[in-house]
Amino acid sequence: MIAYLTNLAALAAIFGILASTLNVAVGYAGIFSVAHAVFFGVGAYAGAQIALVLVPDALLAMLVAGLISGALSLCLALPALRVRGEYFVAASLGLQMMATTLFSEWKSVTGGIGGLTGIPRPHVFGVEVGTLPLALAALGLILLATAALMRGAFGRTLRSIRDAESAAEALGKNVAAAKALAVAFACAGAGVAGALFALHMQFVNVESFNLDQSVLIMAMVIIGGTGTLLGPLVGAVILLSLPAGLAFLPFIPATEVGAVQQMVYGLAMTLLMIFRPAGLVGDLSRGKSMA
Amino acid sequence: MTGFTTGRRALLGGLAATPFLREASAQGNQPYVLGTLFPMSGPNAEYGTAFTAGIQLAMQHIAADNMLRRPLRLQAEDTQALPQQGVIGMTKLVNVDRANYVMVGFTAVSKAVAPVGDRAKTVMVNGGAVGPDLAGLSPFFWNVIPLAHLETQALLPFLVRQRNLKRIALVYVDDPLGDAILGILRTALPAAGGELAGQFSIPRTAQQFAPVAARIRQTRPDAVYIASFGAQQSQIIKQLRDNGVSQPLVSYSAMNIDSVRATAEAEGLIFTTQVTDFAGGDAVTRRFATDFRARFNSDPGTYQVNYYNAARLFGLLAQSLERENAEVNGENLRRALLAGREFDLVGGKGRFDDQGNMSAELQINEIRGGRSVKIG
Amino acid sequence: MLFVQLLLQGLQVGAIYALTAAGFALIFGATRIFHFAHGSSFALAGYVFIFAMQAGWPWWMGGLAATLTATLFGIGVFWFVYRPIQRHEGSFFTVFVAAFGVGIVVQNLIGMTAGRGFASVDTPLSRAVEVLPDVFLAQVFWVAVGVAAILFAALTLFLTRHNAGVALRALHQNPDLLRAYGLSSTRLSLLAFALGSALAAPAAMVTAMTSGMNEAIGHQVMLISMAATIVGGVGSLRGAALAGLMLGVAESVALNFVDTQWAEAVSFLVLFAFIIFRPSGIFGIAQAR
Repeated sequence: MIAYLTNLAALAAIFGILASTLNVAVGYAGIFSVAHAVFFGVGAYAGAQIALVLVPDALLAMLVAGLISGALSLCLALPALRVRGEYFVAASLGLQMMATTLFSEWKSVTGGIGGLTGIPRPHVFGVEVGTLPLALAALGLILLATAALMRGAFGRTLRSIRDAESAAEALGKNVAAAKALAVAFACAGAGVAGALFALHMQFVNVESFNLDQSVLIMAMVIIGGTGTLLGPLVGAVILLSLPAGLAFLPFIPATEVGAVQQMVYGLAMTLLMIFRPAGLVGDLSRGKSMA
Repeated sequence: MTGFTTGRRALLGGLAATPFLREASAQGNQPYVLGTLFPMSGPNAEYGTAFTAGIQLAMQHIAADNMLRRPLRLQAEDTQALPQQGVIGMTKLVNVDRANYVMVGFTAVSKAVAPVGDRAKTVMVNGGAVGPDLAGLSPFFWNVIPLAHLETQALLPFLVRQRNLKRIALVYVDDPLGDAILGILRTALPAAGGELAGQFSIPRTAQQFAPVAARIRQTRPDAVYIASFGAQQSQIIKQLRDNGVSQPLVSYSAMNIDSVRATAEAEGLIFTTQVTDFAGGDAVTRRFATDFRARFNSDPGTYQVNYYNAARLFGLLAQSLERENAEVNGENLRRALLAGREFDLVGGKGRFDDQGNMSAELQINEIRGGRSVKIG
Repeated sequence: MLFVQLLLQGLQVGAIYALTAAGFALIFGATRIFHFAHGSSFALAGYVFIFAMQAGWPWWMGGLAATLTATLFGIGVFWFVYRPIQRHEGSFFTVFVAAFGVGIVVQNLIGMTAGRGFASVDTPLSRAVEVLPDVFLAQVFWVAVGVAAILFAALTLFLTRHNAGVALRALHQNPDLLRAYGLSSTRLSLLAFALGSALAAPAAMVTAMTSGMNEAIGHQVMLISMAATIVGGVGSLRGAALAGLMLGVAESVALNFVDTQWAEAVSFLVLFAFIIFRPSGIFGIAQAR
């Protein structure tokens, strides 16, 4: 039981990182991306390759994964950030679909659909450690950094962009730079989560980095509440523990267990959105229309 | 807000408490737990349903024969054929349900859960996936299905010599399975006197195959080999047939599911499976076939046979361990497997090698009138 | 000849994409709701049609039942899911998550009732014959293209001549103005959902005959519809339909030049390129900035 909960907790922490970093883009800067899993994947492959080829050092893997993901996101975001709203959603969707194909085809690096196996367990300075403390530490650091950033001038700029982009621009804020920085921070975080994920699962393949995963991360942010520090974490814990929790229900017949779980899961998502559209932690009075 | 928080806490608290309760109350005549990690929802769920049917029948027979002193319990975890869900399910089976024996399917899921089972020394048995890299994943990872490269190798001489189908085009999903089949067609096909006319890799999520059919026709093949699985297989078959590919279609054991047999365009499809003679076989096979038809009202397929065998294998191994009063755990199960080597399973004697891979005779089938008929 | 063959097949698939995309664009244009559960309407319609055909109904009754199902489902989702969220001024992604949840429920409901895996309507219409050397064409090609053309003609007439149609077109330009003139935007939204969802039904029926259905098909339909709406220019029905047709053709004709595994990525490459270089789409009314 302990091992099971540890495993779930480690995954929750990893997805907590993903949701919190996506929240920086969505909740603070108003950039809606459904391509977060791409950078999660880039980080996972980078981390896995470092552990496989160089050393299984978790810190190095996380650092490199974060750098690569962050840098790559800058290259991709700069042209795409010219557009807003639904257009950016669609652009990120296009990116996600192309990346899925690339992940499947670039076999020398990603192992294709077969994936990368035999990834060593994480070490720090030569000592084997569990993923949970690592993930919790990374999550804590990222939350601290987010909180610090958002309280400062950068945070104010981002929020002004989210609430009224043209006004922010007119006031002389460097909208493009602020947006790019938010995206780079978010994607670097996703890269770190990816490295942790690879070391934790000891196996990665493209099926963990597809559109469904991106949508799941997005759902975590929305269900928890955008623009709050705690919301994405709550969302991550709920969406991960919901199917896992439903697995404990004893009365579902074995052949229908998957379908029933999925239906409860889908229904829960819909109902939550109907009755708490601003998210569980979100501020109802501040829910605003995007379109 | 507060209502929700407390509700969630109660839920999580409830989660944490349930397994402990179960452990405490069931100490005495605790059942053996057979875990399954199959896709029970999503586009591959048809397999999960088929796999489970075989296990359910085996459990019924084990109970009816009083093979074991303790009862059996089936614990199903849905993987949606995804590795991440697989690992979550496997950790739960190992640590919470204390599964004695876990049955898995699908190559990616198998590869992902193998390290978990290896660490916990829990036996995992695959009866559905045929990726050739599934051999030797762990001492505790066994296969009760001949892996795909064996199937393809068995098919080629038949195609070239008996049917005179020399130029073969391959439509494949680019995963370890498709890769292996491509490799064999490249090497073993020329050796058998044939030729690989063309190769067409498709994404796992693709739905439109009319353009692929046009490309296939251009290569002027004698036959088309399809290496995919799930709902996609029928889609490929139907769209190739609809779009002017009239050559024979050939494939491997994944075609042996109801939805393929029920597809009108699949008439004449040639595919390999392991040998199963339901009418004239031994007692185990005949009993399986009769009771399967009685319980599920349909003809059993290869997968039901494989997973029946997987569950029956547990019954046989645990029975021998109970006789010597040894604990039923992974190491002892493996010891019993290597000591026995040969077991009476559906389809005849199942022989296991040092890694726990079962070899079986292969047969070639053709779909005629919605039924699979042995032709070689 | 390969090119001609691929072009024809692309047109057939494109006609289907165009119908679903037009439905999606109609709904989005009139209500500003990104109807992610549009794919579920499509899947439900397809399965109802398959059931009806298996039960031996005449094709037009099956078609009617499928259209009715799609329409009712679209209206139902609007009424019970989107409308409550919109009352809270729900954000774009709140709607997205809610609709995604609906999609999951529908997919598994289909899986439980219709069985999991492949299902199709067996008809000689989809069987292609050689019309030119090495060019195969099935009668269903004419069905797909013809139905799409007729429906677009009818829809255009409705949107330009009928009062409700004109109001619908006006709605996406300025909902407040319309309300001021006394036309209920809820009733018009209902109309948009009914019409848009109904458009998915013929597309689903053709798909059931050609490529067949599986419970997860709604997902892909939703993606293509969304991509086509963006490429066509948000708010433009004509653009969405044309873009849908184009995506279908691109996906197919691409195989003349690249290997088969890249076909799917081609559509999204087109989408990505459009957003970067021409964000207003083919017939974009409103610029993205």
